[in-house]
Amino acid sequence: MVKKVKMSITKFSNEKDAILACQSGQIEAYRYLVEKYKTRAYHTALMFTKNRDDALDLSQEAFVHAYRAIDRFDPQKNFYTWFYRILKNLCINYVNHKRNTRKVKEQIGRDKVTDFTGNSADNPEQIFEQNERSQLLWNALNALKDNDREIIILKDFDGMSYAEIADTLGIPAGSVMSRLYYARQRLLRKLEKIDEVF
Amino acid sequence: MKYSEINCQQAQILIMGKIDGELPAEENRILDEHLAVCSKCKYEYERFVQLKKGTSEMKFEILPEVQWDAYWDQVYNKIERGIGWILFSIGFILVASFWGYQALEGFFMDPKQPTILKIGVGALTLGLIFLFVSVLREKLMVKKVDKYRSVQR
Repeated sequence: MVKKVKMSITKFSNEKDAILACQSGQIEAYRYLVEKYKTRAYHTALMFTKNRDDALDLSQEAFVHAYRAIDRFDPQKNFYTWFYRILKNLCINYVNHKRNTRKVKEQIGRDKVTDFTGNSADNPEQIFEQNERSQLLWNALNALKDNDREIIILKDFDGMSYAEIADTLGIPAGSVMSRLYYARQRLLRKLEKIDEVF
Repeated sequence: MKYSEINCQQAQILIMGKIDGELPAEENRILDEHLAVCSKCKYEYERFVQLKKGTSEMKFEILPEVQWDAYWDQVYNKIERGIGWILFSIGFILVASFWGYQALEGFFMDPKQPTILKIGVGALTLGLIFLFVSVLREKLMVKKVDKYRSVQR
């Protein structure tokens, strides 16, 4: 049975200690990990869902899933790259569900499709600070294929190192640079179509 | 003209490492030498620097502090509720199975009834209990999280 023990999150000086404590059933130790990664998790979910409420909900859900599976996690490994895969799967499932529901509604033709979730689904102004350049970049990013967008997001928005990206995507470390090159090259081409500044 | 140790294709890949600050010193030197003599790659490099600058300047809208303050509590509640559901499900299945057994005790104890029938009725009852718990849980969870329930049909 889980006990809610009053404990300062500063008790854990590193991630590995917190993970080991979680694995021994101290749920409060998990707070250290949640506090450390909640902003990154939320922003990652936001890039998938493009909606604040969904991103908050899914990032929290991913922490719950990760906690339930933490016994199977190797503390020697990087927590966030493992957690990212859980979060990504949840977000993809959610986005697919949303897309399929939208398709069904379009076929039925009864509902107003554009805002049926109650939010501005693709509005970058809600995600990024209002800025014309950011808006152009966001539009171009969204025009990329999922694989290209993901690697750029991992590097430029999630701030992962090449080693972390390789671990997260399950690709050789040596191919991260070339994958990034082709993804950024395609992003530049999209931007050139939209605007001459780039 | 100065000689370059790498060709343009290799240089363009290395440019990624340079703009991301992940290029080892030796490769950085080789790339710099190439960029000094190749205007095409130099131009590419500047475009990627511009792009990197653009993405690094994109700032997420800041969430209200109150949402961050409540974040851990919400995660904690979800974890605890999950454990509660597991315990509830196990307890309900055990209690309902016991009641089911008591209600059908006469049937199960009757030596005239064939064993295969007893197994079938037992499996049917247990299956119904599992399905009931599963549907009940789904109904309650979907009601809580379904974002589409308010959509007019």
